[in-house]
Parts: sequence; structure tokens; C-alpha cells
Amino acid sequence: MSAYGYDAVVIGGGVSGIMASLTLASRGFKTALVSRGDPVCCLSTGCIDVFSHSDEPLGGIRALLPDHPYSLVGEKGIVDSLSFFLEIMGEAGLPYEGDPGRNRKILTPIGSTKNTCLVPRTMAHADMPPGEYLHVISFQGIKDFFPSYITSRHRNSTYSVYDAGVPTTLGIAARFDDASFLDAFITWLRGLEIPLDRVALPAVLGTIDPDSVMEKISRAIGRKVFEIPTLPPSVPGLRLFRALKRVMQNRGIHLYWGKGVTSVECQGRTVEAVTLATTGRAKRVQGRAFVLATGSFVSGGLFAGRDSVRETVFDLPVAAPGERKDWFNTDFFSGAHGIERAGVRVDRDFRPVGAKIDNLFACGSILAECEIMSLQCGHGLAVATGVAAAKSCAQELS
Amino acid sequence: MTTFEHCVRCTLCVENCPVFKVNPAFPGPKQAGPDAQRFRLDGERSVDDWVKLCCQCQRCEVACPYGVNVSEIILKAQLKYSREHMSPFTAHLFANTYHLGKLGALAAPITNAVTSSGAARKVMGVLGLATNLPMPEYRFLTLNRGRRRKGKRRSSRKVVFFHGCYLGFNRPDIGRGIRDLLAGLGCRVAIPRQTCCGLPALGNSDLEIAKKFARKNARMLVEYIDRGYQVVYACTSCGLTLVHDYPEVLELPEGRKIAENTYNVHEVILDLLENDGCSVEFGEVDRTIAYHIPCHLKALGIGYPAAGIFEKVPGLKITVLDDHCCGLAGSYGFKKKNQQTAEKLGTIAASAIKALEPDALISDCGACRMQLGHYTGLPALDPSEVIIASLEKGASKKSRGKRRIP
Repeated sequence: MSAYGYDAVVIGGGVSGIMASLTLASRGFKTALVSRGDPVCCLSTGCIDVFSHSDEPLGGIRALLPDHPYSLVGEKGIVDSLSFFLEIMGEAGLPYEGDPGRNRKILTPIGSTKNTCLVPRTMAHADMPPGEYLHVISFQGIKDFFPSYITSRHRNSTYSVYDAGVPTTLGIAARFDDASFLDAFITWLRGLEIPLDRVALPAVLGTIDPDSVMEKISRAIGRKVFEIPTLPPSVPGLRLFRALKRVMQNRGIHLYWGKGVTSVECQGRTVEAVTLATTGRAKRVQGRAFVLATGSFVSGGLFAGRDSVRETVFDLPVAAPGERKDWFNTDFFSGAHGIERAGVRVDRDFRPVGAKIDNLFACGSILAECEIMSLQCGHGLAVATGVAAAKSCAQELS
Repeated sequence: MTTFEHCVRCTLCVENCPVFKVNPAFPGPKQAGPDAQRFRLDGERSVDDWVKLCCQCQRCEVACPYGVNVSEIILKAQLKYSREHMSPFTAHLFANTYHLGKLGALAAPITNAVTSSGAARKVMGVLGLATNLPMPEYRFLTLNRGRRRKGKRRSSRKVVFFHGCYLGFNRPDIGRGIRDLLAGLGCRVAIPRQTCCGLPALGNSDLEIAKKFARKNARMLVEYIDRGYQVVYACTSCGLTLVHDYPEVLELPEGRKIAENTYNVHEVILDLLENDGCSVEFGEVDRTIAYHIPCHLKALGIGYPAAGIFEKVPGLKITVLDDHCCGLAGSYGFKKKNQQTAEKLGTIAASAIKALEPDALISDCGACRMQLGHYTGLPALDPSEVIIASLEKGASKKSRGKRRIP
């Protein structure tokens, strides 16, 4: 059976693919997004790191080598794409805060702080001025969240533990969706009579409307409240993904979820369709232009063999540093590993260099030289290049 | 080929598990699936009774970016557990929903009166059935009675309609609507005698009964496929059973052939409209509707074809909701031990729907409609009902227009 024809087909359901598809849909193109599963952003802190390696994201980006994908987008492009992201999150009912000109801090479960750029409202108060007092709330039996890690690093801090009746972050978050559970929690919290300035909890303040949960708690105790992202499963990461997905669906983007691309149909230098490994029978999705946003190694966009790196959907040429011995540093924490620079090289229009395909654009962490681990720029790069690649794709389509 | 060994323990499946979210007794798909699978040896008696708490929504499998067959691993562990332990009475009862349906429909008015009576509900409670939900009503004029074939061959398309038990016994009116819709779009529609797809038996861990049902259907469907028919389904759980379980779990020799020739009814309709040059006029339907995506439509991976049709209906405001399992999961929620889980999930899914303030909800799955109709108090429709309403309006507008010309 021949398929529904789209203007654009985006391959990859992470932040980059989603931002690309939203950009295309906002320009009136009939867009489909195919993804072989849920994206890595569900496991993330939910924060948008634009360039967390330094305190000033844009300043840090200016100092990058010219072959970093950020240079293809340019400063204005980066700032515009981040405001587009903020607008989307507002529409989704999960507003984010932050300024591309200046990084802010969030607290981590081991008590350290981390630079990031845009944060969900529930983490807005995590950037504490020095000298303020903090009270940490933990939950009975919760895994990988030990408040004493935090109190041992912050002299002015104490903690208490609440029994939510379930030990998992998701289980607790689902309980916070329930008003009667929240009321009981607030009653307990008021009973503590916390004299300190701020109250921090692991990120479990509900899966549906965390902002109202936080505000209700904050009002009841008269203190600023914020969330600390947890290890996976990560509730703020899940909220971010679900919110983005909601906007995609509201804007009429068709989603094909859970099955990877098994084959590609080309006519000359044009991709015409991709085939999905659908249950039972392969599903064909055809489009006039394609955006590749399948991510790097973890997400399966790139695959490292013994001696070479391969791109998994179109078998595009991949730039990888030298031989295998150049891929890794002997000291794991010593900074950038060579393999982080592996990826698909693109031209100014985000077309893969050396590909024999004209209607294909690439974005996100599959791009060469992005070094998202050491520069800490994952989501920011995803947003900026996703929007930029989609703009080029839109030009091709019109 | 991916196995439990390919799991990297990223927990994306856990994030998507509805049961894990509300029932602390279930350790989640990662542990119930790939983690525990390493300890499940042939000849070693299963001790993981919590594996039966999985409702087989398959959201874990959809979420898994590594293609691990999480829910299939769990299903097979459920089957293994049941082979080694006595099944409760309710499992035998629900494995045979087809026979219940046949009996129920034959004596429809009596069945419906009995299942809704107070005394009967007390008995149900004793037998281990959940009593908070109304039981589905049965209809005497089932789809198996009446015309078997409809439509002249205007397009080259011949389809055999696999309607399943719910449309067959409980809502034959919807089944007839779909038959007429396909025929109206130019298909030749056959509705042969058919039995249960076998999913209720699988869900209640009765592999033998499931195979018996499946073999019967497979013989019948292959005969049609060989004569150039495409199989269409409307119930997405029946559909998933045909395309996934027939070849993969029940290992039927005809399984692959059936899977390759089976389509969702809305895929077929969309294809007729987009590519077969079927000219129809969609009339205005001025409604705000929440479209609850059944878990098994998600699991099919074919996208949401009905949503593509709704886009053509002027005035219709549809919001797609695909983050929640309704909690009923076939017979799962009708069991007393799952009652709380089903109730909590039903409430969560219902509040997501009600937040949109719609005037109705749509779902492709009869069980979702029962559950969410109950928890939202809204009319719960099959997608075809809205499509037909729009086409009827469009057709009447067209004929009025024609009358005006002379």
C-alpha cells in the first residue's frame, strides 16, 4: 500500500528532531516525525545546557573552533532558536526560564552545582546566593538520592525525610499529581516549621503540573522551593519530552513511534521514502525532504565498529578522528575524548558533506565536532541546529 | 534480532509503565522483563508472581530505543508462570470471552439484566471480578448474523473485515457502520464467520486456547488473502494480535502472511482517499473531541491513521492524547486484584481528557471506550462514528446542491 505523502519527514524523536519538526510545521509544511523509541532527553535533567563549560554560554561559543556546528548557526540564530524553544514551552504549559547571555546554577544530588542555561520553573530557585540557608526534603527509601551528600557540602543546610509510601521517583511523582497526597505532604511540611530560606526536593513534584504543585507548597510554607534533578528515571526529563510531544501533536505533526528505519528509497540524488520496521508489515513514510536527527552513539545514530564509525540510516560519510587509538584519552576525566568529535560533517545549509543526496539535512548530536559531553552543550546544540537545519529544509521545499 | 541481553538499563521503559507508576508491588518492565529474564531457566519453577501484574499495554516496548522486546519477554514469563501454577477461575473465564460473548449475545436481554443486577455483582465479587465497573452489554443481532458481503467492486480493493468480539457481540452497530463505510468508498467487504483473535486467552495465560482460536482464524484469513483480499481490523488489540502475536508468540505457519496483509481500517480509508482518487465530501462536524490513543495502536507503530482522516473534517477540533493507558487492558481491570490499579489509571487518563473540556472522546479500542466513558461520563465514540457523521452531512449537502441546480 502506498503511503501518505509528507512535505518533510524528520528521523529521530529527540530535542533536535522535535525542534526541527516544529519549525517546519510552523511554516505550514506537512510534517512527520519517525522515532525508534523515546529520546535520551527523557533521562536528562530537563535543563537546556547551551554551553555549560563556561559561565557565559555565548562567550564560550564565540571562542569555539570554526568547525563546531554552533558556528554554522551563528549567535543570532542560537538566540532566536532558544526564544522559539521558550515560546513552545510556554504553549505546552511547562514554561522555562533563563537567559542565553548568562548561565545559572542548579543543585545536583551529590551536592555540587552545575551550570546550565534554561531551566524549568521548578528549578528556577536553585541558583542560591551565597550564605542562604537550605533545607532538603528526601523520601523514605528513594534510590540514588542521599540528602547528606548535599548537607555535607553546604554548611548552612539540614534535611528531613518524608514517607510517601512508595520509594521510586516516578511513583512519588504520580502521587504528587493527586491533591489529597499533596495536602497531606504540606501538612507534614508545615509541622516541621522550617526556619531556613529555601526548601529543595528531588524532582518528584508531579508529572502533570509541577509548577502549581511547587507554588502550592511554596505558598503554604512561605519559602522558596526548588527541585533537584535525579538519576534516571528522570521526571523533569520526561516532563520536557511529553510537553514537546504535546505541542507537536497540537500542531498536526504525525508521529510514527517505536520502530526504526530499516531501508531508504532513493531516486537519483533524492530520497523519496523511508521504511519502518513496523510490527508485522513494513510501513513506508514518504516525503519531499528529510531531516536526520538520530543522535550519536547512545541514541544509535552513529555506530562504532572496531576501526570505523558508521552512520546508521543513510550510511553517510562519517568524520572520525584517526585510528581507534586516537578515540580515547587514557584518563577518563581528562577532558575531550577524540571520539566525541566523530559525526556527520555538514555544509552551511546543514546538508551532509559528501552525501549523494540533495534533499537531506542533518542536526543535533550526530553532527561532527560537536563534543557535547566535554562542552556540555547537548540540548542547546539540539535546539539551535534543529531549527537551523529545518530552515534550510524549508527553503528547499519552497 | 534483539533480546534481553541488548537492554542497557536506561529506564525509558520504566518511565512509560503505567502499572509501575501506581502499583508499588510491580517492579517495572526493566526488572520484570530483561533483568529477571536472566534468572528464568527452563525446568526452574517461576517464583515471580508479580509478573502477572503487567497489563501488557506494551508501552515499554514502544519506548525502548534499543528494540528490546520487553513486553514479549514479560508475556512469555507470564505464560511460563501459569504453566507451573494453578490459574485462578477468572483467568479461565476471561480466556474464553468469545464463548461468553456468544452465549451472552444469544440471550442478550437476559444477560444484560443479570450482569447489572445487584445479586450477580455480589457473586462476581466472590469469584474475583471487579465490581466497580459496569459489564459490557451484549446485542442479539451480532455481526455474525446477517449479510456476509457488501459492496460492488468499484475500486479494485477487496477487504475481509476482522471485527473481533467487541464489535461482534457488543457493538455490532459500529461494525455495520464500518462495513458500510468501506463499501461506500468502493471496497468489496466480506465479513466471514470468525472467532476471537486469541488475545484474551493470551492475556490470561492460556496458550492452548489462544492457539485454537488463532488457527481457526488463520485458516479462514489465508483463504481470503490468497483470493486477493486485504485483512482489515478496527479493534487495535485484535490487529496487534494478528500482526504480532500470530507469527511471533503463537508461531503460526501462516502468521507472517497474515501480518503482511493486514491493515488498520483507517490506513485503508486514508489510502482510498489519498491515492485511489475516492471523491467524497466531508461535512462540518462542529465538535471538540479528545482522541485517546489505545496502547495497542501505539504498539503497532503505524502512526495514528484516523487522525489523518479527522484533519479533513471541517469544524472538528481534535486533540490527540497518547501518554496514558486507560487501565482496563482488556480483562485486566475486570479482575479484583487489579481493580485499584485500573481505577487509578482510569482516573489519570480521564482527568487528562476532562482537562480539555471536550464534548466527547474517541478511541479505536472498545475496552478504552468502556473504561474512559465510565470515568469521564462523556460519550465514547469509535473513530468511524465521527467519519460517518461527517460523510453523511457532506453527502446530504451535495444532494441538496444538486437539487438546486435545475
